[in-house]
Amino acid sequence: MDAGISGTSPSQASGEGVMSPKPDKEQPKLNQVTRRRSNLQRIFMPTFQLNDRKTVALGASLLIAAAVLIPRVALATLGQPEITVQTDVAQLHAAIKSSQDRTGYRVHEIQLPSGTVLREFAAPNGNVFAVAWQGPTRPDLRQALGQYFDAFGSAPQSKFSDRRHVQIEQGDLIVQSGGHMRALSGRAYLKSAIPSGVNLGDLH
Amino acid sequence: MVSMRALKMGLCAVLCLSAVACGGGGGGTASNGGPPPPPPPTNNTASLIIDEGPSNQSVNTMFTSVTVCVPGSTTSCQTIDHIQVDTGSYGLRLLAPVLTVTLPVEMLADGNSLAECTQFVDGYTWGPVVTADVQIAGETANSLPVQVIGDPRFTNIPAACSSTGGTEEDTVATFGANGILGIGPFELDCGDCDTATNGLYYACAASCTDTTVPVNMQVPNPVTHFAADNNGAIVVLPSVAAGGASNVMGSLIFGIDTQTDNASGSETVLNVDDMAEVSIVFNGQTFAQSFIDSGSNGIYFADNSITLCTDPSDPTSPIVNFYCPPSPVDLSVNIQGANTGQAANGVMFTVGNAETMLNNPFDAYPQLAGTLPPGNAGSFDFGLPFFFGRRVAVAVQGFTTKVGTGPYIAF
Repeated sequence: MDAGISGTSPSQASGEGVMSPKPDKEQPKLNQVTRRRSNLQRIFMPTFQLNDRKTVALGASLLIAAAVLIPRVALATLGQPEITVQTDVAQLHAAIKSSQDRTGYRVHEIQLPSGTVLREFAAPNGNVFAVAWQGPTRPDLRQALGQYFDAFGSAPQSKFSDRRHVQIEQGDLIVQSGGHMRALSGRAYLKSAIPSGVNLGDLH
Repeated sequence: MVSMRALKMGLCAVLCLSAVACGGGGGGTASNGGPPPPPPPTNNTASLIIDEGPSNQSVNTMFTSVTVCVPGSTTSCQTIDHIQVDTGSYGLRLLAPVLTVTLPVEMLADGNSLAECTQFVDGYTWGPVVTADVQIAGETANSLPVQVIGDPRFTNIPAACSSTGGTEEDTVATFGANGILGIGPFELDCGDCDTATNGLYYACAASCTDTTVPVNMQVPNPVTHFAADNNGAIVVLPSVAAGGASNVMGSLIFGIDTQTDNASGSETVLNVDDMAEVSIVFNGQTFAQSFIDSGSNGIYFADNSITLCTDPSDPTSPIVNFYCPPSPVDLSVNIQGANTGQAANGVMFTVGNAETMLNNPFDAYPQLAGTLPPGNAGSFDFGLPFFFGRRVAVAVQGFTTKVGTGPYIAF
């Protein structure tokens, strides 16, 4: 729970490979939006920038957390407030490896014990609009997809499908996955929740 | 055993491409005078067929037959056809509904039964790990760990398994085959399951919890457990007419440089990385997580310039996400191995119109190609069409041939 892996180092950014160049002038705008949104949620992301209101914010965020968690809905992430990233981390016995701001959204990278990496993408409005995974096995998608989980399993398989590809579109939900044994990757996102200007190719 | 032999001979008569390939398996008898002749070589060649499969809708999927016996028995045996041959997975898995022999479940040291949740991209299979004496062509692996999928003795799928998502593929209809034979370039279906629990293996009593498993109890690539010819396998498929063909026959040859029929020659050897992947350069872009894979039914890659079959927003079309160019598109890639300097440049392929092709009731389509979503932007998936007209060797990690040390693919 410290800032030791605050997530915007050049190496991490370059590791993302296909990211588009980010116009600098958009950065302040995003930060304003982000700050306005909620310091409470920010502090719940332990690797994000610390500020001197940490203690106050932490206490308040715990209240928020309680409010969110009391209903004990599906502990969802996709489509839920960013605060549920932390719920995922706990439920999956995982650790946040990094959190980084990109133009128009924020990415939390969660390292699972299985070796798989789960990334959760949060929009400026505070909701998780996409999750992506890569590794030897899939993560607990019931946890990560929440209310959208069943759509992945119940979607009819295409007549000509194989075991290596999934493309599901059900209402607002898109699930896309590929790979092979010992190397599976995929993502799920909500079409209507993609912040404007986000390149779909960057969500992986 | 007599019936098995008869069955095999019958199969050979129908399927085998060469008399030599089917000549093994008989016991040699010494002739009078002179030294006894050398024993005949093990029959290391199984037939492959690309047909519609047990689901009646497979395309570009190749199958073989496997005989399984209760360990130590020569009578409690069964030959199962339509086992998919998959260079992109590891291990033999059989669908319980087609099994007529009862194979013993592996027991962990603590007395619990061992089961596995096998993840494929589109879903998962669940069932116990059993042992069987496995025979493919003339090759035998005794007491081989094998997964039985959809076993009625193991119906309580743990939440940790089903929560990985996708379709439960525990029936022949949902799995699309009577089983799968994973002969990829590694021995095991898990990298570290002997030391880490990662949701693949489960210890089952009243309920199942994920567990570590000794390596010798995990489900391995059966080739690596053959008594001979165990360093890899070679897939040989003929060229297929551009528009497609039905019931395409080929050969699955076990071993590399172990017999006269599996000798290496001048093929290009490309080592694969620890994900069994290579780099493919296409349109000037390098896709570092690419793979050559008989378990993919097409050539899957992203190219916005090629017309898709239908609007991607129409998920009801079975050909959505395949390419449908108005006329065939000739393309090529450079494939780079994991070791410095390894390359196969100018590997040609053609993208045909999937709608036109699939309207014909064929089973094999060499020009079937589809798109990969942006989330898989790092991959070029060169599936079964790659294998048409080629002889593709897959050498297992740690095993050496005359031309290299696995894991590699050579063609």
